[in-house]
Amino acid sequence: MSDRVLPLKALAKSGRYGASTLAPGVRLQVLHPMGLVTVIARKGKSKSVQRALSNLQDVTVMDAGIDQWYVQGPDKKLATTLKQQLAETASVIDQSNGRVTLRISGPKCRAVLAKGTPVDLHANQFAIGQSAMTTMAHVGIHLTRTADDEFTLSVSRSFSESFWEWLTASAAEFGYHIS
Amino acid sequence: MLIPCPHCGIRPVEEFTFLGDAKPQRPQSNDPATMDQWFDYVYLRDNPRGLFDEYVHHSGGCRSWMVVTRNTETHEIKACVPARDYKKKQS
Amino acid sequence: MSGFRLPNGGLIDRNQPISFTFDGKKYYGFKGDTLASALIANGIHLMGRSFKYHRPRGVITAGAAEPNALVELRSGGRKEANTRATMVELYEGLEANSQNRWPSLNFDVGATNSLGAAFFVAGFYYKTFMWPKSFWEKVYEPIIRKVAGLGTASKEADPDNYEKAYAHCDLLVIGSGPAGLMAALAGARGGARVIMADEQFTLGGSLLFEREEIDGKGGLDWAQRVIAELAVMPNVTLMPRTTVFGWYDGNVFGAVERVNDHVAVPPVHEPRQRYWRIFAKKAVLAAGAEERPLVFGGNDVPGVMTASAMRHYANRFGVAAGENPVVFTNNAYAKRTVGKVLDVSERKIVNVTGGKRVTGIELDDHSHVACDAVAMSGGWSPIVNLMCHRGAKPQWSEKITAFVPPNVGEAFVSVGAANGSMLLSEALREGAVAGTLKGKAPNIPSCHDETFVITPFWHVKESMGKAFVDYQNDSTAKDLPLAAREGYEDVELAKRYTTTGMATDQGKLGNVNAIALLAEATGKSMAEVGTTTFRPFYTPVSFGAFAGHSRGHHFQPVRKTPLHEWAEEQGAVFVETGLWMRSSWFPREGEDWLAAATREVLATRNSVGLCDVTTLGKIDIQGEDAGAFLDKLYCNTFSTLAVGKARYGLMLREDGIVMDDGTTSRLAENHFLMTTTTANAAKIMSHIEFCHQALWPDIDVTYASVTEQWAQLAIAGPKARATLNKIIDGAALDDMNTPYLAAREITILDGIEARLFRISFSGEHAYELAVPADNGNTVARALMHAGAEFGITPYGLEALSIMRIEKGHVAGAELNGTTTAGDLGLGKMMSTKKDYIGRMMATREGLHDANRQCVVGIRPVDVKDKLHSGSHLLKRGDAPSMTNDQGYITSVAWSPMLNMWLGLALLSNGRARYGQVVKVFDGLRNIHMFAEICDPMHFDTKNERLHV
Repeated sequence: MSDRVLPLKALAKSGRYGASTLAPGVRLQVLHPMGLVTVIARKGKSKSVQRALSNLQDVTVMDAGIDQWYVQGPDKKLATTLKQQLAETASVIDQSNGRVTLRISGPKCRAVLAKGTPVDLHANQFAIGQSAMTTMAHVGIHLTRTADDEFTLSVSRSFSESFWEWLTASAAEFGYHIS
Repeated sequence: MLIPCPHCGIRPVEEFTFLGDAKPQRPQSNDPATMDQWFDYVYLRDNPRGLFDEYVHHSGGCRSWMVVTRNTETHEIKACVPARDYKKKQS
Repeated sequence: MSGFRLPNGGLIDRNQPISFTFDGKKYYGFKGDTLASALIANGIHLMGRSFKYHRPRGVITAGAAEPNALVELRSGGRKEANTRATMVELYEGLEANSQNRWPSLNFDVGATNSLGAAFFVAGFYYKTFMWPKSFWEKVYEPIIRKVAGLGTASKEADPDNYEKAYAHCDLLVIGSGPAGLMAALAGARGGARVIMADEQFTLGGSLLFEREEIDGKGGLDWAQRVIAELAVMPNVTLMPRTTVFGWYDGNVFGAVERVNDHVAVPPVHEPRQRYWRIFAKKAVLAAGAEERPLVFGGNDVPGVMTASAMRHYANRFGVAAGENPVVFTNNAYAKRTVGKVLDVSERKIVNVTGGKRVTGIELDDHSHVACDAVAMSGGWSPIVNLMCHRGAKPQWSEKITAFVPPNVGEAFVSVGAANGSMLLSEALREGAVAGTLKGKAPNIPSCHDETFVITPFWHVKESMGKAFVDYQNDSTAKDLPLAAREGYEDVELAKRYTTTGMATDQGKLGNVNAIALLAEATGKSMAEVGTTTFRPFYTPVSFGAFAGHSRGHHFQPVRKTPLHEWAEEQGAVFVETGLWMRSSWFPREGEDWLAAATREVLATRNSVGLCDVTTLGKIDIQGEDAGAFLDKLYCNTFSTLAVGKARYGLMLREDGIVMDDGTTSRLAENHFLMTTTTANAAKIMSHIEFCHQALWPDIDVTYASVTEQWAQLAIAGPKARATLNKIIDGAALDDMNTPYLAAREITILDGIEARLFRISFSGEHAYELAVPADNGNTVARALMHAGAEFGITPYGLEALSIMRIEKGHVAGAELNGTTTAGDLGLGKMMSTKKDYIGRMMATREGLHDANRQCVVGIRPVDVKDKLHSGSHLLKRGDAPSMTNDQGYITSVAWSPMLNMWLGLALLSNGRARYGQVVKVFDGLRNIHMFAEICDPMHFDTKNERLHV
């Protein structure tokens, strides 16, 4: 029915897919909706914005370019909160609807992602908490390592279905689980 | 070709788009007497064999504009700096 | 006599027989065989017909350089032409067919051209098919195309998948022979991330077929121990069946992994092949050397092969090439081959007898020796290709009579035979040193060395019969001197003139021999003649591997708007606009696009219509200098725009030509929202980033794309306000709180945040409503419900275009990269009070010439006539020609409001010609008609409907 908030959630039906390996090599989740906000420091305010962001509770702050961050959290009203807190020191732009966040985890998560990005994702080269903006399957993405064998990835909404098709095709040989 | 983006680290050339020579500077004046400078700025470009400063956009990455100094003969990349820093250096 | 399987030996599994077919007949081989070894084991030596002369051909090598045994592998959508039988790993049910022969391999009609062979020398095509000129296209070319070529490609879709991937390593080892294994071992033990790639399906390189002794044990035994150690190390990736095909800038390597070429059908979730880009800090070329043929009469008769190939078949596959072979060689190394040895310094072969199979040889002392196989060795050429891919040339070495790799720096080095080091001990030592990135090199195992002694000798001058240099393109010893005599002395010219080295094998066997013959013909040294340019790919790579996932529907990403589902439900027909799927029209039963679009226009202009306009770029611009920044980007002024208002803006390029247009609104003092056209959204974003970071880095401005964050709908028509009033929260819309060009932040449907813009592209009283994308479908449904009593109608791109053309609004067809603001009738927008991109160059006199083509309206004189965009305009009475050309039609539409076709055009001095009748010429459709020039605004000329 067309009231659906994100068609991708319908595409991403829970279950086990791909090769019948003993354990799935990869687990895929669509994390939507959630709060995702672009924060860009105004001129001369970079340090003060960084300090303010580091003091925030219950959110993940990720590098998204020079003097620019993505702030992510469960609250869909995150943008409003940040606007109040950062006032004139930063531009706060809600992207909660504009981007779709996925979680990719499991022993083969790097092997899958390496099919799409030239960034070196080896555990010694890409630390937990580190982010990269890169291109994957002709689509711009934002990638963050969140745990040992776990990454979150956000992509522009309009590209999300196309991207998901590539992601699941790439994960198929390892067996994957959608939850 | 690999480009050392100051923000993202070394990335392959496919993540970037190129604009061209970074040396020509946009004239400051709107005085009609400076039209020759404007023609030069818009149209005149060198095509050197050897070191070349070029505007590069990390369009598939952090979206920074930078200036890459590359040897057009060997493709060796000597430097990659943010465009704003290149402008400061020039003035 | 023919080849046969030896009773024991070989790295084949005699407990696993495999059946396969060749030219429709069924044969058996074993697991571990290649197609070539299995064919020879079955006594088959005739495997193909040569390209030009259709000579019977068999294998010459046991590996990647094979020029002759090219087969069509598999069938249907999986068929692969020109596949080297020597590189095909045998699998159950394999299907292969020979090529370039009719009606059969054994009896090939094409072979009769050998009767005219004296004429088919190099340069034949250049000199012969030239007269009469008209015959080339209709007679000669079709015949040559039919006769030439080797395999045929499949015309069916490929059912298999392909993938691409990236890999990073500290050390890339190319080749897994003794040198490569030592390099990988050295790197791996030191903790480096190591990738070792080998084109073969079993690792070990030359140790698979040469009887060597290393560390007191058999060479193969030693290799298997090293491989076993490497296989369990977590920092090592072994990649058999992987050809590294190219070396690129930044020490990036391209490789293709044949993941499932060795099974009939790839497992359902696996690709057939995978294309790798490998980023290596250091790479080691341990690819070995290629043995050269000798050039003598009949050196292409099936049963003649390189000496190492003969050893390869015997030792690795347990297959004997013949019962009584002869070994013809200029170096000592070949003498380890079993057979009667003929050293070039003593005796020379002038011809080989037997057409489809060696029956004997004729020597230069006129004697004839019976034999059934000839093992030839003209020396060894290090496989230098990869190291020359970035422009460096190999160096001639008198010592080993071969070209050796150039020095290309520390990041890519060669070792072992690839380096021109012909001793086993050198290979082991060089590999160990090159692979040691940290700490001490591993101990070098002891081994037995065999000295390499070679007499420089290239061809037998007294040859009778054809002596082949390039087997695949059928170039012979006579062709190179001919090229030199005709003036094509340079090695690059001689290559093209004789086609030596231009086939799919890229002359791996023949190039150095050709250089020697050219040197002799021109009196130059080998070094002076030099090699031709090496380029990727070392061996052919399938298009599938390049495409990876990006084929068919996945060729490029598909972008869908947040309202896509709603549009689908409404029956939209979508059109591709760049990457976007945009709803183009919403047909009802029995309607074609024109009927649907016409109905949508009438419904919108008479009542209310609803259109998805999400795809237009939306850029959020904030900061103290946001207004000043916009003043730089647009030719008109935005710093003066009041909060809560929208304004149409025009952006120029620095050369004064119009780049894009859009509506930009001021939401707060330091907060603007810019819109762009759909097509230019990405370009404008990059432009904004450039202008700030490169031109004005010190201003206080931020920018972020919000195209995806907001779903945006146009609600247009006399009933638009009434419809909207049913869903907005708070006070109803009126001309006071929402005048024309208002830009407001509101809420709708009990608290959904929204932005409302009273702007119009259709010319109707209209609004654009933006809501966060997650709410898109809900809001669209709510609007349909709210407008139901007014007969609200969804409309698409077609109807949108009709309405804007009726109103004379310019769009992409007019903003075509050649028009100025003045041409578009928007010259007054260009401010004279501020600097902006394009201001100065827009003043150039050429951009103000009175005869420039500018936007006008156009209507057919006969209202029954149809207009076509692209038609050219001429003065009445002028014949169509470049000099008479006055302009062209840019946009056309069937106007439901005026009941006729009409459009916009670019016409020389157009604004002074309203009322004039011009000739319309469509050269494609051969249409000549007349049309009248008028004001672009065809409908509602006083813009009254905007304020209804």
